[in-house]
Amino acid sequence: MSAVAHEHHGPPPIHYSSRIPPPLVGIFLFIGSEIMLFGSFFTVYFFDRVVNNPGTWPPLNPATGVQFERPWFVALVNTLILVTSSFTMHWASTSLKKGNRAGLCAGMVLTLLLGLTFLLTQVIEYHRIGFNTGDTAFAATFFGLTGLHGCHVFIGLLILLAMTIRSFKGHFTPEHHHGLEVGGIYWHFVDVMWIVVYVTVYIL
Amino acid sequence: MTDITHHDTHDSHGAGHGHGEGAPQTVWHHAWTRPGWWRVLWTTPLFFGIGCGLVTLIRWAAHWDPIWKGQPITTVALVTVPVGFLVGLGGFDFWTHYAGGLPTQAEDHDSHGAKTWKDYFRINTDHKVIGVQYVVTTIIFFLIGGFFAMLFRAELAKPGDQYFNPQTFNVLVTNHAALMIFLFIIPAFAGLGNFVIPLMIGAADMAFPKLNALSYWLLPIAGVMLIVGMCTPGGGPSAGWTCYAPLCSHQPMGQIFFNMAVQWAGASSIMTALNFLVTIITMRAPGMTFWRMPLLVWANFTTSMLVVLATPFIAGSQFFVLFDRVMHTNYFESSGGGYVIGYQHIFWFYSHPAVYIMLLPGFGIISEVVSVMSRKPIFGYRLMALSLLAILVLGFSVWAHHMFVAGMAGWLRVPIMVTTLLIAVPTGIKIFSWLATLWDGKIHMNTPMLWALGFIAMFVIGGLSGIYLGSVPIDIQANQTYYIVAHIHYVLFGGSVFTIFCGIYYWFPKMTGRMYNERLGQLHFWLTFIGFNLTFFPMHYLGLRGMPRRVADYVPQFAGMNEFISIASFGLGASTLVFLYNMIWSWARGPAAGDNPWRSMTLEWQVSSPPPIFNFDEVPQVVGGPYEYGVPGARHAIFGTETPAPVLAE
Amino acid sequence: MRRGAILQLVLLALIAAAITTAVAVVIPWMPEQASKEAQRINFTFWFMTIIAIFVFSIVAAVLVYVVLHFRVKPGDLSDGPPIHGHTGLEIAWTIVPFVLVTAVAVVSAVVLSKNSNAGPNPVKITVIGQQFAWTFKYPNGQTYPILRMPEGEKVQLKIESLDVLHSFWVPQMMQKQDAVPGLPTELTITPTKLGTFPVICVELCGLGHSTMRSEAVVMSATDYNSWLQAKPAAAAGGGSGLAVFKANGCAACHTLTAAKATGTVGPDLDKLSADAAKAGQPLNDFIKTSIIDPEAYIAPGYQGGIMPATFKSSITGPALDQLVQYLASSTK
Repeated sequence: MSAVAHEHHGPPPIHYSSRIPPPLVGIFLFIGSEIMLFGSFFTVYFFDRVVNNPGTWPPLNPATGVQFERPWFVALVNTLILVTSSFTMHWASTSLKKGNRAGLCAGMVLTLLLGLTFLLTQVIEYHRIGFNTGDTAFAATFFGLTGLHGCHVFIGLLILLAMTIRSFKGHFTPEHHHGLEVGGIYWHFVDVMWIVVYVTVYIL
Repeated sequence: MTDITHHDTHDSHGAGHGHGEGAPQTVWHHAWTRPGWWRVLWTTPLFFGIGCGLVTLIRWAAHWDPIWKGQPITTVALVTVPVGFLVGLGGFDFWTHYAGGLPTQAEDHDSHGAKTWKDYFRINTDHKVIGVQYVVTTIIFFLIGGFFAMLFRAELAKPGDQYFNPQTFNVLVTNHAALMIFLFIIPAFAGLGNFVIPLMIGAADMAFPKLNALSYWLLPIAGVMLIVGMCTPGGGPSAGWTCYAPLCSHQPMGQIFFNMAVQWAGASSIMTALNFLVTIITMRAPGMTFWRMPLLVWANFTTSMLVVLATPFIAGSQFFVLFDRVMHTNYFESSGGGYVIGYQHIFWFYSHPAVYIMLLPGFGIISEVVSVMSRKPIFGYRLMALSLLAILVLGFSVWAHHMFVAGMAGWLRVPIMVTTLLIAVPTGIKIFSWLATLWDGKIHMNTPMLWALGFIAMFVIGGLSGIYLGSVPIDIQANQTYYIVAHIHYVLFGGSVFTIFCGIYYWFPKMTGRMYNERLGQLHFWLTFIGFNLTFFPMHYLGLRGMPRRVADYVPQFAGMNEFISIASFGLGASTLVFLYNMIWSWARGPAAGDNPWRSMTLEWQVSSPPPIFNFDEVPQVVGGPYEYGVPGARHAIFGTETPAPVLAE
Repeated sequence: MRRGAILQLVLLALIAAAITTAVAVVIPWMPEQASKEAQRINFTFWFMTIIAIFVFSIVAAVLVYVVLHFRVKPGDLSDGPPIHGHTGLEIAWTIVPFVLVTAVAVVSAVVLSKNSNAGPNPVKITVIGQQFAWTFKYPNGQTYPILRMPEGEKVQLKIESLDVLHSFWVPQMMQKQDAVPGLPTELTITPTKLGTFPVICVELCGLGHSTMRSEAVVMSATDYNSWLQAKPAAAAGGGSGLAVFKANGCAACHTLTAAKATGTVGPDLDKLSADAAKAGQPLNDFIKTSIIDPEAYIAPGYQGGIMPATFKSSITGPALDQLVQYLASSTK
């Protein structure tokens, strides 16, 4: 079976053994891995809060003697912003499949802006929150979970930026949209994960 | 090539074949902008600067004092410098072009395959090149890790301080384990899998070749980071490879290098596992159903599931201890409300499945070799595959057996003991099925087979000593002693390393096109086998009698035994020289091996040695099981216009 | 299978069993058992060993038989019989190991529950681990560097750590438990033999890990009680400076000829005067500062962050003065 490949002789046509294309299988598995990464942060939260059982949660700030305050309302507004961005993302991808390029571009820009707003609000919240990473295990889990999620939003935004640029350049067509779809799935994951993080960190 | 972007970039396909046409690079400064080592020279310092600048900027904006601080800068630089290195090497070129909306280069396959030795030192998307890169790199780290072991065995030959102070001793022990686990065993299997899996399932390459190249290049980064960490001011990482909090949050600077190196190695391993999974799910040749896959593919499939689901937990655990140190968080500081044992739960939730990550691919290799070399179908093929899945599921429920004396909740002990002991059942199934495969076979006692038989014998000992440890009362006596050292080496050396050697000898002809020296191969096996047993078997005794692990000094009572072990370990170390000589000499001068020296049925042996650049000229048609030895007229696959022969047995 | 093959297999298995049994019996794998818990663990060990010999003998016999009988000559290119499996056999080697490990699990669970049971009225001793020394606090409120236990009585150890993880182990008692900062753990020991046994730290705890050792002395119950009442003076709260030095485990890391201490993790205390001169402080002040605030001056050639910062609260008042006096007078 030896074969001498000619210059630029390509591989034989690919045989796919799955109806779902490789990029989609890949992104779903990757999200499984991501869920486990968040899982490790939730686990340490569980240990520090439930197993260690400090009594009240949030605990008392040892520096001031009063309970830590969590800006749940600002974060709720922020949650709504992020959830909205999921809908605009969905709008963008359905527009693409219908061949509506203006809808695609508008959807992408809106998603990008909403995501950016979310991230900036988060940074400002960190700045004004009144405690630091070193203030008890509560602060550690607070900054850990929200920070890990913030990193994902940041990476998600970079992906969205690339998708937006390519949308404007017209590189996606109703037939070739896997790139956008993969980015969109990732962004939806980031949104859903935020709801879990929000409820755990700010409400419970 | 099956990269995702091809679906989206049809418009840019016309952009041409300009890049790889071998256009003469006469302008000198092109070397600095082209992907490659010259570009690495300036992108790496540039990204170091970016890292420093970023930390300083944030500290300035947040009014933290001092603005310039060593530990955060080191941490961030250990992220940005490797990124800079990869940017220079060209790991991100395709994606940055894509993200920027530039017309992506049409796939002209110029990053594919190796024509000269230089092609092994660049971003290469050919899974066969990457496989060789992996195997060679990991063997280099194996040698370094083994050298560390020789050094601390020299120290341990006599009680008292001889050559190293306790700090250096602890660093050597820590990095011996870290190199062997994260940079030898796990990636060596990834390397062998990389070379073999696409061939075995009849694919031209992995599903994501560019990601594959990137995941290889993370590996030397992690290894260099670990070794550089040993030479940092204040001393290297010395908290053991398990890196238990809170000790490791209060270690010298080298600990940051350790934590970050584990992250890079972990990222590499997750990316490879994702690639394996997607490749196995979506790229199988027609007719290659799951029940027709070779057991090596099954083994790597389950292993990759373990990697994808478990590895994020070690990433998390290393982040937490790093934050505890650099950002003064209190995840595991009891004074700040942290829960100390939480670290161990999270760490072992990865690191126990990691034991199976380091064993299951080896099981796959042994299944291949045992079947081929005894010329019989594998005994109980389906049960072999199902037992892998059973290990995968059970593997997630046994992590806390590393913590029987750690002070965890008492009620956890018995359930974890039960699941731990239950894992012996699927493992036993595999051992007995291999024995039944050997029974009545036509056994060829060549080097791969010797390693396989040696593996079965050693792994039975390691497995049985593992059942002792699974029993909580015995574990209470044996935990944290040399008994554990003996057990893990029977499992990871007699188990994993034997299978790696087995795999290297078995596929050496396929990888290089040349045959290794059979006599030297057998000599290597016997020297290793004897040296291994003389080194590690006495350790069971030492541990039970009262010698803790990870001690630079011990009571004179154990002096004689330790001296014996040290001498034996030097013999074991020397046996590797035979292997090296054999490999290097045979790669350069060995006789041509032929396409299928083992007369194996699996697909990788049906192509030339080494395989053609795209593996198959045409996609093979799989018509039967992979181990139909002795079945008259049975075929695993047919090529081209051949008419399928009637399949007699499945 | 031919009858001859079965006979040979059984013979090989018996030989393998004989050899492994000899290895198991002739070599004294377990240390002497100096506690009731150790006797039970020893039983579990031998129960497991019988199973291990059984399994290993079967595997070894088959491997040896296969290599002896089924090896082919180099030129033989024939294939073996195409046997794909045998459901009965496969069920057998799923069920039999399952039964065996269940037996191990049951025995282990029973032993574990007996070994963890401290009974209604145990002798309570607190074990305190810190880098790199053990100290033991007794019911009379006194602290000593040596663990003393009464023979034949259940002793419940409460194990604490002041800094990082340690692990308490007496090999002859076969009981082991980690010392976890912020989370006291418990361990039960019922000593059955008089004598002195080593106490070892088995969890890597830093530079001086291998020197973190002490002694467990088992005394008769009457001796123990009279000792407990007779020597309240020699504890950390009072008594001589030497007693304070020993009770706080200083000897694990420091050399001091007067106290027969030979530790090498920290600076040599025989050379205290020279160090005080280098630091430019009067000797007594230098010693006192170095105990309660170890980071204030780091002797050349040593690292900061190694010596525990806990002595500020654990050695106070007269004990501190006595220790300082003792060190100042003992140094050369």
